[in-house]
Amino acid sequence: MIQSIIRYVHGYVKIRVEGYSPERFLNLCSHHQIYIWGLTPCGNAYEMYMSLKGFKKLRPIVRKTHTRIQLVERMGLPFFLQKYRKRKLFFISFFLCLGLLYFYSSFIWDIHFEGNEKWTNETLLEFLEEKEVTPHMPKSKVDCALIVKEIRKAYDDIVWVSASIDGSRLRIQIKENEDTFREADAESGNTSDDSTASKDGQEEETLTPRDLVAAKDGVITSIITRTGVPQVHVGDTVKKGDVLVSGRIEVKNDAGEVIDYQYQASDADIFADTQLVYTDTMSTKYKKKHYEKSERRLYYLKIGSRLISVGTLKNDYKEWELHTSEHQLKLGENFYLPVSYGSKIVKSYISKEKSYTKKEIQQQLSQNFQLFSKGLEEQGIQIKDNHVNIQIGENSASAKGTLYLNESIAKETKTEIMQIEDQGQENTDQKDTD
Amino acid sequence: MWHFYMNRDLENGKFKEKLASAASMPKDVVLGAAVVTIIGDQEVCIENYRGIIEYTDVLIRVQTKGCQLRLMGKNLQIEYYTNDEMKITGRICSLEYCK
Repeated sequence: MIQSIIRYVHGYVKIRVEGYSPERFLNLCSHHQIYIWGLTPCGNAYEMYMSLKGFKKLRPIVRKTHTRIQLVERMGLPFFLQKYRKRKLFFISFFLCLGLLYFYSSFIWDIHFEGNEKWTNETLLEFLEEKEVTPHMPKSKVDCALIVKEIRKAYDDIVWVSASIDGSRLRIQIKENEDTFREADAESGNTSDDSTASKDGQEEETLTPRDLVAAKDGVITSIITRTGVPQVHVGDTVKKGDVLVSGRIEVKNDAGEVIDYQYQASDADIFADTQLVYTDTMSTKYKKKHYEKSERRLYYLKIGSRLISVGTLKNDYKEWELHTSEHQLKLGENFYLPVSYGSKIVKSYISKEKSYTKKEIQQQLSQNFQLFSKGLEEQGIQIKDNHVNIQIGENSASAKGTLYLNESIAKETKTEIMQIEDQGQENTDQKDTD
Repeated sequence: MWHFYMNRDLENGKFKEKLASAASMPKDVVLGAAVVTIIGDQEVCIENYRGIIEYTDVLIRVQTKGCQLRLMGKNLQIEYYTNDEMKITGRICSLEYCK
């Protein structure tokens, strides 16, 4: 294959050798390092192929052997160019083609994402567009390091990004943080300025004094305090807004008088039995659609802001649905062209009112309830008991009742800062106690 | 006189042959013997030859250093022909060595 391409580029000829001793001619050719192939006897003569370079060296050999040479065929690029040398347009367009190929290859034609699951291609593409990284941008303007930095800055849960130019395609490889529990670790491992700033913010937050208050009414079932002064015990009934753990610690002297306060951020796990009223209603009737065969179709092609359409949507249906689908043309994966096509279909239907059966209603309502309780469990709320009943009326059915839950009810608020009335005296008192 | 030269040539040849086998050197290099590789009955590759004497599509005669090769067959064709190697394709019937 390669040999035949080389032969074609250098040019070769097919010749016929006749005369007294063509064998001597062959031997002399090989002696002079002239490469011969495809040698076939043809009556008294021989036909063979030889390179153009070899053919030019033949004259002395021919004279020596008294043979006659006939040029049968010319093949290869040099002859091709010679033959079509007057076709200027062909050569111009050939070089223009090469030039355009070179010119167009200096642009980014496609952006390819790898490894993204949470963040879709579209989201990332939009983000890159904001940063002026789009398909059809010149390759020389792409700053891979900057793209990587921007993505890392904007998305905290993308742990690793690599951007590289692969031909005329910008390839962006992403590693997302799959383990949400490790999010904090990953953030602390960040090298960007952004994350260190947020870390500082967290530290500050832990320093501000905080109380834990009840977010709901309930009966305390367990309390484990890590920092702060617990204000309630197991079995206490609390109301919404009651302080459960105080972030203010009293400093007392020997006489048992409060002389100072120390503040800290309270931290505790507090669980309480709470109640939740559950209601869910649904209609016992619904409309069932019976589609008719009559429909109107409209197909369209949108180029930029121009719209070319075939068909009509005009109708006199009483009830109808409109289905629209549109596809935008794109080159490669993400290079969207301003050309889109689509169709709009209007379908007529007749609606009939129907009512659910008792079984269906029960099924629907209990399914809703199960979904609701599953949601609660996912939030870490334990359901101890429920008194939910289904009532079916003429027009509507409902599931009502109370859920008995056990959940964490602690909510953080700022601690009230108390002032000591006479500081001077207390200071001396403090010295005494020391 | 002729006889003497012929004897000397013969002796020289034998000496070289002995030397080649004693030193376990390739004979095609030392003696200039032709190397003929036949693949099935379709392809023959000849190396170390002097030149072609005759070439038709049924008979090819090739001169080597010591003898002449006669290759008989049908539709014989020389695929390529260079100073040190040639390849013949076609249906090969016989190969003879003529002194």
